[in-house]
Amino acid sequence: MTEESSTSTTDPAPKGIRQISPTALGITWTDGHESIYGVRHLRENCPCASCIDEWTGIKRLDPATIPENIKPVNLKSVGLYALQFFWNDGHDTGFYSHKLMRKLCQCIGCR
Amino acid sequence: MSDQDLQVRVIAELKTVMDPDLNKDIVSLGFIKNMNVTGGNVKFQVELTTPACPVKEQLKTECETKVRAVDGVKNVEVEMTAMVRPAEHSQPILENVKNIIAVASGKGGVGKSTVATNLAMALQMTGAKVGLMDADIYGPSIPQMLGIPISAPKGGADNKFFPHEQYGLKVVSAAFLSKEGQPLMLRGPMLGGIIQQFLQNVEWGELDYLVIDLPPGTGDVQLTLTQRAPLSGAVVVTTPQEVSLIDAEKGVRMFDSVKVPMLGIVENMSYFVCDGCDKKHHIFKSGGGQTLAEKFKVPFLNEIPLVGEVVEGGDKGVPVIMADPSSPASKAYKVLAGQVAAQLSIIHSQEGKPAASFELAWKG
Repeated sequence: MTEESSTSTTDPAPKGIRQISPTALGITWTDGHESIYGVRHLRENCPCASCIDEWTGIKRLDPATIPENIKPVNLKSVGLYALQFFWNDGHDTGFYSHKLMRKLCQCIGCR
Repeated sequence: MSDQDLQVRVIAELKTVMDPDLNKDIVSLGFIKNMNVTGGNVKFQVELTTPACPVKEQLKTECETKVRAVDGVKNVEVEMTAMVRPAEHSQPILENVKNIIAVASGKGGVGKSTVATNLAMALQMTGAKVGLMDADIYGPSIPQMLGIPISAPKGGADNKFFPHEQYGLKVVSAAFLSKEGQPLMLRGPMLGGIIQQFLQNVEWGELDYLVIDLPPGTGDVQLTLTQRAPLSGAVVVTTPQEVSLIDAEKGVRMFDSVKVPMLGIVENMSYFVCDGCDKKHHIFKSGGGQTLAEKFKVPFLNEIPLVGEVVEGGDKGVPVIMADPSSPASKAYKVLAGQVAAQLSIIHSQEGKPAASFELAWKG
């Protein structure tokens, strides 16, 4: 968050969200950016407290423990600031803020 | 036999396969997906509610055995998949409510409930349909301010209940859930449960505005609301003193971090007008709310004067805006309501708006 100025409602937010392929997610943002994500990449970067240590910020999730066929079964908005994924390994505790989603973008420009 | 006839027979056979936990057959439960029957070759998926289903293999074997036994079936391929069904969020929330306004403050005692009540009344007096949710679980004061006697809300079908009605406002409050004068002593998860009920189980009917009176601070209730309810915007109430402004700033930052648009800042108890002269006496300093608004580049909605009628109205259960519409406080509340409505219209008219709440079921 930038200090001393409210940029919240002008920060980019998802405008369109769709499944591109069985393993790829696409997001169109309010600023026109087109994001693409591999679903495994998203699962590996889950920000929840059991995947990232809450106090130290050290990653606790070992990517090798994520099933080969990892996929979301469902995803939905959390309030106005985040997305929640329900994964087929039963994991669903991560709230992916819009800011984090922008950071995780794997489009050619962002990679 | 045609493929379609065969499919019907297969499905009929699958209707004898029961999910032992849910005690229903897997066809009625909607577990059978993507069935394909071609020339006696049967392919389908069984979609369980959890990938960790303990009877997964047993169900698969039962499906294969039973389908293979159907006359005309040559080959069977069963794939076991899972669709985890989210338990909590499945019901739509506040569908018939056009605008949801959270009234918050960083610090207690700034007159947030008084502002919320009079704001709701002022909006209602313009002819809008308005609801008021008293989400201050620990210190619910709205019923007192509106003169509503404490009684349990009227229940409806499916665990729903009806709001109380007073002066044309629909009202829910935690005060109605306990006996008069008894405290609600709850830890976090219970709080979340009550808020969830207020969001999901209240028969509000159609509303133009729902005003939510939040408890002071930046805690559980605020987080639950910002995560579960599609808030249209937030109003932060402060008083002119530095100690109040410091906490109001935290409130503004909280809404910022969860992307709830700031409708603006209201400064309560801004000045006192005595009966002897028309001079505005700024008892608690002046201009703090305005400065805060400028700092965060959010609108300064209005300043509300400190007048005796406001307190009296609250204690008697007749909000000042009704009891004495010509009072300077009532006029200030009317201006506030107009400003809030205007800010909401601006937000609604913004182009390139983000997707409102959405859900995407993953395929394949």
